[in-house]
Amino acid sequence: MPAKSADRERCQTGIEGLDTILYGGIPRANTVLLTGSCGTGKTSLALEFLIHGAIKGENSLFVSVTENSEKLLANIIPYKFFDRGLIKSGRLVFVDLPIMYERLGMSKPELSMEEIDLLVSAVGDLARELGTKRLVVDSITSVCYKLKTSEKIRDFILKLSKTLSDLGCTSILVGEVAAESHAYSSFGVEEAIADGVVLMANMERRGDLLRTLQVIKMRGTMHSRAKYVLDLTPVGVLLVPLLKGGSTA
Amino acid sequence: MTDGPADAQQIAAELSETPPSSAVSLQMSVDNYLDVIRGVVDLFANKKEMDTIYVTATISSDAIRRVLEALDIDSSRVYFVDCISHIMMGAPAQQDEHTTLVESPTMLENLMLKVEYLIRRSQSKGKLVVIDSINSLAIHNSNWILSEFLHILVSGLRSRDAYTVILSVEEHSTPEISNMVNLVCDHGIRAGKKEA
Repeated sequence: MPAKSADRERCQTGIEGLDTILYGGIPRANTVLLTGSCGTGKTSLALEFLIHGAIKGENSLFVSVTENSEKLLANIIPYKFFDRGLIKSGRLVFVDLPIMYERLGMSKPELSMEEIDLLVSAVGDLARELGTKRLVVDSITSVCYKLKTSEKIRDFILKLSKTLSDLGCTSILVGEVAAESHAYSSFGVEEAIADGVVLMANMERRGDLLRTLQVIKMRGTMHSRAKYVLDLTPVGVLLVPLLKGGSTA
Repeated sequence: MTDGPADAQQIAAELSETPPSSAVSLQMSVDNYLDVIRGVVDLFANKKEMDTIYVTATISSDAIRRVLEALDIDSSRVYFVDCISHIMMGAPAQQDEHTTLVESPTMLENLMLKVEYLIRRSQSKGKLVVIDSINSLAIHNSNWILSEFLHILVSGLRSRDAYTVILSVEEHSTPEISNMVNLVCDHGIRAGKKEA
């Protein structure tokens, strides 16, 4: 059982190791940037967060930006605890953002400030309508490419974060960074606004490639800042501490 | 540690006397490997209807499976974490649910993760994890990281009420390896040559 910190209400991710790292889970209504390079398990972890929420009766929404929802579902690890009934019952909802763009008439490569407000409102309205308590945007980086400037990105994430937080919704924004990058985000803005930053990476050690996870910050709770090694398995994401004896960093 | 060499029956009897969540150091002579396998897997784990998670870093899981067959030991409850087939370039093209591969015995964290996965997947009440062997893992890892690995692995298994049996080969052991194993184990069994 994860240790509990007697402060803010928690949104248990359902990923045992992560809840332990976070002393009980993500503080409810936080917006967390889940960032890392490709192949580090970001989407799998985010999806597991939603599935556990849906199983617990919390309505969960996956906003897919880069991948078609059907394709995403087909490719995702066949989690033993995943039940398609969660989708049928509406507990777990997938929405493709490109379809929202289309419906909102946002066909231009760059969004204006007004369109940003419209997009935030649309996501907020959808979350309100569905009674969403957990939300994932995968990826926020792809949305940011349509915003171009730091000011717009800051404005968008701030407004989105506030809208979701006001709804009591705990959110994960999936961020992508280049493999060789030491930054937490592509635009250098996302991590400053998010309440939490969880970094996933591929760490090379003597020729072995390990998938790692590290919580860099999380407002509203104490948390471990150590690096953990993870595995994506049919029973979900499993985590163990990185053995320090072999650390190169 | 027992006073003299133990055979398969004795090994099983001594393991049966230890409570669940025990960590046992089983020191053996190379010549006694088959006795150890029979005692640990067949007469102890199979008899108690426990799943065995067999971590192999010495010879491939295929080879051990053949040994079990030759000894007429039921392997339906044995799940391998095979750390050696990949680096020998001998990994089977098709995986079966009884074998989980770890790319290299240097990936100790992944080894722990595979054990954890199999523990979670196991439906049996009791569970046994066999590390075969600490000497083989020591070829690929420094004592420092190996010590840390054993400590975390054994502590985790204790909390899940699983037995841990760490095999070490007398002929290949060093005082450092023995100390490392003794630090995490609460029982010792010797199978094979008695020290002079």
